[in-house]
Amino acid sequence: MMQRDVASFAFAPAVKVRLISAGFLTAKDICDLRPTELSKEAGISQQEALEVLQEVRRGPAEQGAAESRLTALELLEREQALGTVITFCSALDQALGGGIPVGKTTEICGAPGVGKTQLCIQLAVDAQIPGCFGGLGGQAVYIDTEGSFLVERVVDVATAAVQHCTLITKDTEQREALQSFTVETVLSQLFLFRCHDYVELLAQTHLLPDFLSQHPKVRLVVIDSIAFPFRHSFEDLSLRTRLLNGLAQQLTQIASQHSVAVVLTNQMTTRIGQNQSMLVPALGESWGHAATQRLILHWEGKHRFASLYKSPSQREATVPYQITPHGFRDVQLPDPSVTPADPSLTPSLNSRKRPRGEEGDPSDA
Amino acid sequence: MVILREGECPGLTAEVIQALRSQNVRTVVDLVSSDTEELARKCALSYKTLVAVKHVLLAQYTAFPTNGADLYEELLSSTAILSTGNPSLDKLLDSGLYTGEVTELIGTPGSGKTQVCLGVAVSVACDLKRNVLYIDSTGGLSASHLLQMVQSKACKMEEHMEALRRIQVRQVFSVFSLFEAQQDLRSSGFHQVAGGSGSVKVVIVDSVAAVLSPIIGSRQTEGLSLMMQLAGELRTMARDLGVAVLVTNHMTRDGNWAVKAGLGRSWSHVSQTRVLLQRVEREGAKPSGLRTATLVKSSRQPSQISQEFDLGACNQPQDLLPAPRDFRKINIHYH
Repeated sequence: MMQRDVASFAFAPAVKVRLISAGFLTAKDICDLRPTELSKEAGISQQEALEVLQEVRRGPAEQGAAESRLTALELLEREQALGTVITFCSALDQALGGGIPVGKTTEICGAPGVGKTQLCIQLAVDAQIPGCFGGLGGQAVYIDTEGSFLVERVVDVATAAVQHCTLITKDTEQREALQSFTVETVLSQLFLFRCHDYVELLAQTHLLPDFLSQHPKVRLVVIDSIAFPFRHSFEDLSLRTRLLNGLAQQLTQIASQHSVAVVLTNQMTTRIGQNQSMLVPALGESWGHAATQRLILHWEGKHRFASLYKSPSQREATVPYQITPHGFRDVQLPDPSVTPADPSLTPSLNSRKRPRGEEGDPSDA
Repeated sequence: MVILREGECPGLTAEVIQALRSQNVRTVVDLVSSDTEELARKCALSYKTLVAVKHVLLAQYTAFPTNGADLYEELLSSTAILSTGNPSLDKLLDSGLYTGEVTELIGTPGSGKTQVCLGVAVSVACDLKRNVLYIDSTGGLSASHLLQMVQSKACKMEEHMEALRRIQVRQVFSVFSLFEAQQDLRSSGFHQVAGGSGSVKVVIVDSVAAVLSPIIGSRQTEGLSLMMQLAGELRTMARDLGVAVLVTNHMTRDGNWAVKAGLGRSWSHVSQTRVLLQRVEREGAKPSGLRTATLVKSSRQPSQISQEFDLGACNQPQDLLPAPRDFRKINIHYH
């Protein structure tokens, strides 16, 4: 503790420069002084000297280092206590190792109309499924930056989820839990924030830890989408990279410290290579490192597929899925009595997205 | 620029320091670089006292040269080579990670950097039975995955738990918490018995770019100074504590869509060895666990050699490391 360089503490740059030019190089030089002595020696104000001394004298125990330092064994126990948020598509759940992991950040990328918002709405409902049905029984926070959140859709998805649970109820515990799992409660436990530009989004992320401390039952935070506010009319790209990286760190910290699953939606952009153009996730190369897990939703012909592209613990996999009036579901095996996966039969909500054309996305900002 | 304090050496009393201060001599450098006779006259101090103080201070603060033979002896006795758990990667790195050095992994998202780090942690904890400090800033550390990897190596339940207990995890989300973590390691490092079973042998920082990239860029120089401060700390930590340091870094694209390592040119000088991980793209094939590792920078091997390996095949049980090709090469590894 005593050998730490003054330059590595979190002081204001002006204060640091004054301290170093006065000859204070390590923490040992400073910690024995009184505030008046320090302010006279270094030429800084009394208030600044007091803050400097408080920071330097803070022992490791008060910094919360005790809780951020664990062995892998303790981390394992903690991880097993957290759960996952299921997606109602069993193939995808299996590929993800049970569902979207709580305590980590997951990014969902995809072209317009492929189903990102649908998946987010499904997850917001699934996070509230009671524990005895295999869910988390928690609340959800939905941060909407695009304006694509429709309450009617949430009602549809919630109704289907409640119906599904009612059908599989077996014992009294589940029956009791079902009393508190209705469409009304689902809607009342979903907190919606609307952010119109990147400044509001950054502010909301700063305020999120306090909100989560006041609402400890929240298990899912969805930001749909994180690309939209950062893509249009942003001239300074290096500022954008810095802001995004800072945002990513904050979200990872929130996910880990408050035990929530953070889900971010990203758009796709076209990269023009030598002979061909391909669709890649937007927001740049360094953003690719930001989220812990990355899921890419894409079309292949008329069918939708989800690929797990980056994950700390699962192998890469691609699974098919479909969007039905009930929400995000598995693709059923071909059966004459079941509706085939056909985009034209998805609810009218999706008719504002253009129908499936050929590969590639020519119109992108 | 160390400040003069009373009691630092026999002649340096409070009055002497007061007198020197009045002449604007506050630090050791000021005292040593000033003219002693003139200073003695101006401060009304005895010339002998000042000369004595100057000698003691010089002896205390000078760096001592050492010759190459001593350095070689010290290196032979203190360096160890740690296997990464993956034989192809070991071959690329000239038997593994060297203690006292910083090794860097770079790659695009999903190229396997975290996986290799986990493999190293498991290999050191299980095979070498040494402690590992894993500093995680991305949330990519999944303890259940670690358990899976440990289970594929050891058979007994107690051994799994033992191995997991040896891996210490610190979650950091800013560069200042990273400094605190390093400081904790240093202060606890002095209490460790050298070579004892409690000593940390490898420090993994995954990823260093995640904590540094929010503060680097534009005209603020604070970020750059913190980055170089961190670089200095990593290298001194590797050398002083005799640990192998493994860091991971991003890749970004420059103007012509060519990939380059993140954090800029200044950071590229920090590590002694740099390995680039890439996915193996085969036409029409499904995504697999195959990766290529290319040695981009090394002080021992020819650069640009590469090896292909399978991420899933990390941590297969393996026997002794390959025999040295040259008796002059350092060949000490723990068992």
